[in-house]
Amino acid sequence: MRGFGDLEAVIMRRVWDRDGPVTVRELYEELQRERAIAYTTVMSTMDNLHRKGWLARERDGKAYRYTAVASREEYSARLMGEAMAEAGDTEAVLSHFVAAMDGGQAEALRAVLDRLAGKRPS
Amino acid sequence: MTAALALLGYAIMAGCFAPALLAPLTRRGASVRPGLAAWLSAMASVPVSAALGAALTVKAAEADWPALTRLVCQQVAGTACSPQVYRSGLYSAGVAVLAAASTLVVAAALWRYGRRTQRAVASTRLHARAALLAGRELDGAGAVVLDDPRPVAYCVAGRPAAIVVSSGALAVLDKPQLAAVLAHERAHLAGRHHLLATLTRGLAAVFPGVPLFAKGSVEVGRLAELAADDAAARSVGRRALVAALVAIATGTAVPAAAPVTRAVPPGALAASGHAVPARVERLLDPPGPAAAALFGLALALASAAFILVPGLLAAAA
Repeated sequence: MRGFGDLEAVIMRRVWDRDGPVTVRELYEELQRERAIAYTTVMSTMDNLHRKGWLARERDGKAYRYTAVASREEYSARLMGEAMAEAGDTEAVLSHFVAAMDGGQAEALRAVLDRLAGKRPS
Repeated sequence: MTAALALLGYAIMAGCFAPALLAPLTRRGASVRPGLAAWLSAMASVPVSAALGAALTVKAAEADWPALTRLVCQQVAGTACSPQVYRSGLYSAGVAVLAAASTLVVAAALWRYGRRTQRAVASTRLHARAALLAGRELDGAGAVVLDDPRPVAYCVAGRPAAIVVSSGALAVLDKPQLAAVLAHERAHLAGRHHLLATLTRGLAAVFPGVPLFAKGSVEVGRLAELAADDAAARSVGRRALVAALVAIATGTAVPAAAPVTRAVPPGALAASGHAVPARVERLLDPPGPAAAALFGLALALASAAFILVPGLLAAAA
């Protein structure tokens, strides 16, 4: 799967895992222990995340201190809210595996399964 | 002029009556890909032939403006339509305003379609991005987990795309069932089904009065589900896929050894519009190869007709 190696995700997860704000220098030193990476790459990626609305920052002397705009849990909840809404409520196109059923629909499914019980392939 | 009007007539006929032809051919999902192709070519042929017909009508009208205004005048006013009326500047201006207004209506519809499609693509990509950033990586599965007790699994296109499984879904799936879910979602992404959904739902939203668009966008979505089911069944087996469908739809784990029936909780008897019973029935009792070939042939002929008829009319113009 593409995407997980990407630096934006790595940085967001590190920011979320911290308690307080973090500077580019601090994250760069953390990341450098695990991979060959340039300071400017970390800086521009964090700048991108700020521009896209994922990270907030405030100036502290010569450097910026970054924090996540919303917690990971808040993003999760927002995404799930969008995923659970009816198709008309969200503009994003999501392909659901299957929608949840209520009692009556479950009954219809049970009837189908009962009818097919003898024919089921293994 | 005749060909132009015939194209417009075709657009109206296909827009109203194509669903009656196609729905019975795709209802059982015996032939999924030809079914998709037939619905899509029918849906595409309507705006294309309407636009062609309108353009040719305008062209003919331009070439023969005085005769046309006279014709329109006589159609509306009958014998009361005298040369003083249809040669007057006021009358010509009125016809010109009418033509401009209808052009404007078409342009506005196009613009709404474009903007709606663009917004859908943007929010879809944003959702995928956010899911990949906020989700927990599912080991070796190429998917992310979001914490939510409700069982949900879906994919969302983007750069890159994301497959999302809720922690509630993980809790009711065993390993083969999870593999079935992931195979189903990967088939959606590989088949670019989100693109079909975006384009067809946009048509249905912008032209709500056209039966073909309303029915077609729903049918394209349903057939895309069946195509993904077929792909998943091929790679992980029908049994795991059926168990996964039942587990997520009912929120109850389905043990591999037990009959699937036992996992379905009892409830009040009611007519069901839900897709699961039909999908399960099709997986456990699939249409035979003869049915697939027969429906496939009929659908291929239908597709050809939706392309050839307006094509020949345009060529005759």
